Amino acid sequence: MTTPLILLPSDNVPSDHLPSNTSAPLRLGPGLRLLSEQQSSTPSPGHVINASRAGLLSTDPKRNAVSILSFPNHRYIPTTNDLVIAQVHHSSAEYFHCMVTPQTPHALLAQLAFEGATKKTRPVLKQGDLVYARVLSIGVSAGAEVELTCVNPATGKAEQGGLGPLTGGMVFDVSTGLAARLTRASSSKAEYEDGVAGLVVLDELGTKLEGIGGFEIAVGRNGKVWVDCSNAGDSAIRATVAIGRCLHAVDESNLSPAEQRKLVSRTLREMEV
Amino acid sequence: MNKEAPLSIAERDFILNALREGVRLDGRQPDELRPLNVSFGDEYGHVKVQLGKTSLIVRISSEVTKPRDDRPFDGPFTIAMELTSMGSPAWSDGRQGDLEQYVTHVLDRVIRHSNALDTESLCILKGVSCWSIRADVHVIDYDGNLIDAACIAIMTGLQHFRRPDAVVKDGQVVVYGLDEREPVPLNITHKPLSITFQTFDEGKLVILDANRKEEQASEGDVVIGINNAGDVCFLSKFSGAPVDAIVFVSKSSVALEKVKEINGIIDKALQSDLAKRTEKGLAEESKAENDR
Repeated sequence: MTTPLILLPSDNVPSDHLPSNTSAPLRLGPGLRLLSEQQSSTPSPGHVINASRAGLLSTDPKRNAVSILSFPNHRYIPTTNDLVIAQVHHSSAEYFHCMVTPQTPHALLAQLAFEGATKKTRPVLKQGDLVYARVLSIGVSAGAEVELTCVNPATGKAEQGGLGPLTGGMVFDVSTGLAARLTRASSSKAEYEDGVAGLVVLDELGTKLEGIGGFEIAVGRNGKVWVDCSNAGDSAIRATVAIGRCLHAVDESNLSPAEQRKLVSRTLREMEV
Repeated sequence: MNKEAPLSIAERDFILNALREGVRLDGRQPDELRPLNVSFGDEYGHVKVQLGKTSLIVRISSEVTKPRDDRPFDGPFTIAMELTSMGSPAWSDGRQGDLEQYVTHVLDRVIRHSNALDTESLCILKGVSCWSIRADVHVIDYDGNLIDAACIAIMTGLQHFRRPDAVVKDGQVVVYGLDEREPVPLNITHKPLSITFQTFDEGKLVILDANRKEEQASEGDVVIGINNAGDVCFLSKFSGAPVDAIVFVSKSSVALEKVKEINGIIDKALQSDLAKRTEKGLAEESKAENDR
């Protein structure tokens, strides 16, 4: 592992920091742009990759991906393929107008962009309902509308389980940095002993709460985490609050895996779950 | 826009259901305050108050002005508060929202109209000159309960502030600089603070010091302004669902308890700051070298 590299907007990514795998195309994460591709005969073609956000460069040799880890408290900027938790503001003939972040223009979610939705079977969402959706496109020019979807537009099926309306439960606001870490921790399997990105809080909560029925969780990259413990019966609310408190505590202070485990036990004891 | 984004249905229902079980989102008791932190800047009257995640800075300043013609013995005291987009993205600069109007009104009532600051003591020479005291409130971060936080900050600021000494010599007003004469503390008659309660479930559930989400989910609020001696100087129930009269009675005693607790925290912070200042002042005086 090379030393961490901090990039500022308009900095070029040095080529020796890029993954050297040439069999697969290089994937660029949000905050990086490909400016030009130089013709060269060497095995690794010289990309000029430019940062458009400040942050720490992170590479994933296995997926041949490179991305920028922005600082944890920045405001969410929609990026294509992000999973977000949006709140329906109002609906028009063809679209639900959703809030992804407060005080920004609404994002559009087509009324037929749900799994198996036809004109007759489409879901009816009221103002204030929550939807777990994927960012389909972010538009090109300034003022362009962000479009969301709950299905894969090519197949018409929900590609990843869980996209669609969220009912019940509670939403907790976390920083965008923690949301990104949670997404990474859930997408890659538990092959690391100490959890991905140093996060073990969800695994620990999962094992501790298994006895009362477990919980459902959806992480939106816009800094929202939806938690539902409706299987837990009487202690559902206390378990949900406990999860929310653990997430906030992890967000606010930089806890080591051991401290996170301790935090989970302590919070569950305090909430009498 | 000037409006907070509305809560989702799920959040609203969850907060209410949790309160029915006696659980709050951050694990507090219904009558428990968030952690309160009071700190001071370099100058007199510069206070930073953090109540949970709500944080604000208050600056008290003074200047010599001419008193109003109808009140020749009184010095003016104004509280200036502007909610700028620095505090919350929902607030826009330059436009006054409902919240701003409401908070300003309550602060005016609790602190100014209850005569917490003795404005007659600001008079220097009758009808000619007096001190004008101004409190500027800047909201740095907003997570609910702006009224109580602002009240704490202003009252702390008034107690911390020292104005320059001024005397009348042969009909002339002479103002001494802070380094010439020991500055004078303001004359505080009593220390009122406001305590805001949010009500849910048609006034059956009442909680104290709500954060932003709880505030948005609540049906109405009750503000009680009270001082250490238990004198209620302000009481309001402006809008929202009706509340039983018995709530006012029982919550007044809770408010009194909380005001004593908060005033204790303020006094402690003031004393430790004062001790630090005198220590520093003595150290500077005893130094052999000087700036010349």
